Amino acid sequence: MIGIIMFGVALLMLMLGFPVAFTFGGVALFFGIFAEGMDLFAFMPYRIMSVMQNTVLMAVPLFIFMGVVLQRTKLAEQLLSSMGRLFGGLPGGLAISTILVGALLAASTGVVGASVVAMGLISLPVMMAHKYDKRLSTGTICAAGTLGQIVPPSIILIILGDVLGLPVGDLFKAAVWPGVVLIGLYIVYILILTRFKPETAPAMPADPDRSRKQEIVSALLAIIPPLALIVVVLGSIFTGIATPTESAALGGVGAVVLALIYRQFSFQMVWDSARDTVKVTAMVFAILIGATAFSMVFSYTGGDYLLEEWMLQLPGEKWGFIVLAMLVILVLGFFIDFVEISFIIVPILAPIAEALGINMLWFAILIAMNLQTSFLTPPFGFSLFYLKGVAPPQIKTTDIYKGVLPFILLQILVLAMIIIFPGWFGMSSTY
Amino acid sequence: MRWIIKLDEGLGKLSNLCGWIAIVALILMTANVFYDVITRYVFNDVSIGMQEMEWHLYSVVFLFGIPYALRSDGHVRVDVFYNNWGQKARAWVNLVGALLFVIPFAYLIGTYGYSFAIDAYQMGEGSGDPGGLPHRWIIKAVIPLTAIFTATAGLGMATFALRVLSGEKQYEEGHGGEGLA
Amino acid sequence: AQEKFTLRMAETWGPNFPIFGDTTKRFAENVEKMSNGRLQVRIDSANKHKAPLGVFDMVKAGQYDLGHSASYYWKGKVPETLYFTSMPFGMNAMEQYAWFYHGGGMELMQEVYEPHNMLSFPGGNTGVQMGGWFRKEIKSLDDLKGLKMRIPGFAGEVFAEVGVNPTNIAPGELYTALERNTIDAVEWVGPALDLRLGFQQIADYYYTGWHEPATELQFLVNKKVWEKLPQDLQEIMRIAMRTASYDMLVHSQHENAKAWANIKEEYPNVQIKQFPQDIFQAMYDANKKLLKEAAAGSEIAAKIIESQQNYLEQSRAYTDISERAYLNTMAEVE
Ligand code: NA
Ligand code: NA
Repeated sequence: MIGIIMFGVALLMLMLGFPVAFTFGGVALFFGIFAEGMDLFAFMPYRIMSVMQNTVLMAVPLFIFMGVVLQRTKLAEQLLSSMGRLFGGLPGGLAISTILVGALLAASTGVVGASVVAMGLISLPVMMAHKYDKRLSTGTICAAGTLGQIVPPSIILIILGDVLGLPVGDLFKAAVWPGVVLIGLYIVYILILTRFKPETAPAMPADPDRSRKQEIVSALLAIIPPLALIVVVLGSIFTGIATPTESAALGGVGAVVLALIYRQFSFQMVWDSARDTVKVTAMVFAILIGATAFSMVFSYTGGDYLLEEWMLQLPGEKWGFIVLAMLVILVLGFFIDFVEISFIIVPILAPIAEALGINMLWFAILIAMNLQTSFLTPPFGFSLFYLKGVAPPQIKTTDIYKGVLPFILLQILVLAMIIIFPGWFGMSSTY
Repeated sequence: MRWIIKLDEGLGKLSNLCGWIAIVALILMTANVFYDVITRYVFNDVSIGMQEMEWHLYSVVFLFGIPYALRSDGHVRVDVFYNNWGQKARAWVNLVGALLFVIPFAYLIGTYGYSFAIDAYQMGEGSGDPGGLPHRWIIKAVIPLTAIFTATAGLGMATFALRVLSGEKQYEEGHGGEGLA
Repeated sequence: AQEKFTLRMAETWGPNFPIFGDTTKRFAENVEKMSNGRLQVRIDSANKHKAPLGVFDMVKAGQYDLGHSASYYWKGKVPETLYFTSMPFGMNAMEQYAWFYHGGGMELMQEVYEPHNMLSFPGGNTGVQMGGWFRKEIKSLDDLKGLKMRIPGFAGEVFAEVGVNPTNIAPGELYTALERNTIDAVEWVGPALDLRLGFQQIADYYYTGWHEPATELQFLVNKKVWEKLPQDLQEIMRIAMRTASYDMLVHSQHENAKAWANIKEEYPNVQIKQFPQDIFQAMYDANKKLLKEAAAGSEIAAKIIESQQNYLEQSRAYTDISERAYLNTMAEVE
């Protein structure tokens, strides 16, 4: 019960505006000492050490560095605005470009913090400069940055593979179509929205002195270098030159090389980019450390046993079980981070699902889709904090909260589609 | 008040030193990963020691980055009310938060982190993998060390809040992502 | 009424980790039943304590009363702990259990753990571990030169001696790294656990084992906690640990046989291979050399290595005329 009260208190304290990371840590501190005593915190160095040795998270600073260099050298702006211009008079072109670039980044990393922050750095300033609606911009970026969880390679799928005992390769393959459909729906949504509300995403103004053809050629030319960089990153993964994490370093070095080619390079630029990267990286990891203290107190005060008890009360009939299990995961996702859910809840659900003859691969994809949503749901969705951390001050937390809403609904829609029509995604709900 | 200003400026310098260390570590880490990929792919050569150096540097980046970001207000806040409040109200939030949250949290991590690192030192812990790095205590000691810096950065947050309360300093409008424009 | 005890155990494995995790659960159940509820064990998996390789430190410091892990993980902290899991070209499970319980192994293990305020007990055996998944066939020593392989610990050192490049890859990226030839080979455990990671989908050559012929897990007990327990509960723990380890050995055999049947049926691409004789000889010599170096560097290591080698020699001579003779006979009539 202490865990539940702690969530309420954390929520109230967050509203006061003290830094998120230390609010998590501080609230955990008081509840932890009160319930278990000081010595509970002797576990903290171990937990920090496990973050330090989690080399997959190295992708966070590396991708942020790439994003900052691309932004400082204006190459990111060039990529996005050229892509936007390719859409001609079509409003929403920048937002669609953001989704596409997000999808490419998603295919190269499975670490949400890395891609949300990189996307925030790369595309938020461009969208702001072109008078995009704040909510549409932030919603698009959070959604695009979070794609990394469902588009393989993905940490969530690896964890689920481990917990459910499924081969990672099968999970990766099964996740491709749901990911593609989700990306498609994001784009369709932006097209529809901007058709009815073009003012939320103004079309890129065409240069009156140039023909459409010239426009396209110059846009294509401008896209090549930054796009080549993304291709290098992705290519290094697909050819096995680098692991997904390492590819982020190739991206960072590549961005600096691009800067050299475009005469934007200076040691000061590299130093300043590194400084920004350190600041944002520290923000992301402070949240991770605060949150790990929080979840430590939650589980050591019996929160995990409480959750287990709840889970065991789910109905023993297939569709009732699926729907309720998905609802419970969705609601828990508002408060608890996806790793905890995967490790606490999923092992309890798995044997029930198996006994009901449910196809575990399908079940795993449902859970992955659902957990992806937890990054976006207020109040504790990590993507929201990450984007807020790199957004200019005129963007309020509430803008982001409201901005992600339509994208959350789209994710739930895709989740429902996979539940009802598994065949569309090349799966079946039973063996 | 004079000594508070002096103290605050000193604490600010300390946090900036942390930032400097983290920045250098980040550049080295990027180069390190890049180097490891190239030597593996081009020269078919792998060094576990160099691979372990990657996470050593990466740890330095975020652990030293945390106190630095605290000083430069890089840690994300929920601004539902905060940005509408005046200077004094914000100073109170930061003063109380620093004293109740940041410093005690850093204190506990520092104390327990100290025995964590000492234990590694006494056992002479190193990597168990072929060609891995020795002296694990060094990287473990970064945990209590940066906890101290986080505590001093928290103290700096408090002293700065006192300066704001006295009216001598102001929080800049729109902190957060601004340094990244 | 008699005093009740609840002991907290940290295990290196994640929740519901097959075979390994079943071992601790069985142990906890048996302890509770045998003590009529006076002794209870609460198991925390890695997702809770978040420190799979911190079990040694946490039991030592008393944050946990008990631990379940493997001794060779602590090689970087206390080099002599290496010898109580399994050694390349060492004893098989039966020989090694005989060494532990009747050949002086337990005494040597306590000698190593005592200075760290802990007791260590055998904690379940995987049997012979497989030699790993390779994407290319290894036909000669030259094929091993420069091969990039995920192989940690002492076995990695032996491989390094014959020219392999041991490589670190985060467990979460292992599959992708092998699939895309970032690395050429992966050593994991055996069919039952390897199947979950899907290596059979991307590597055709599954090599037989030599480097961990009898991987023994361990129960760690904080010494102060142990001494506080009344003697009957200590005995109950002892018996429950010994039963749980034996149980894990047979459970491993069962699950691996099942998984292997599954791989044979569903993945006909997988071929079982054995390294050629010259490779084994080179690795055998490398192993000997490394052990010699270790023995020269530490008195207690020298003592353990000598005890193990003497015991292996004597025990193997008997295995040769019993188990091996029997298996050979069976091979002839097949
Ligand atoms: Na991904
Ligand atoms: Na959430």
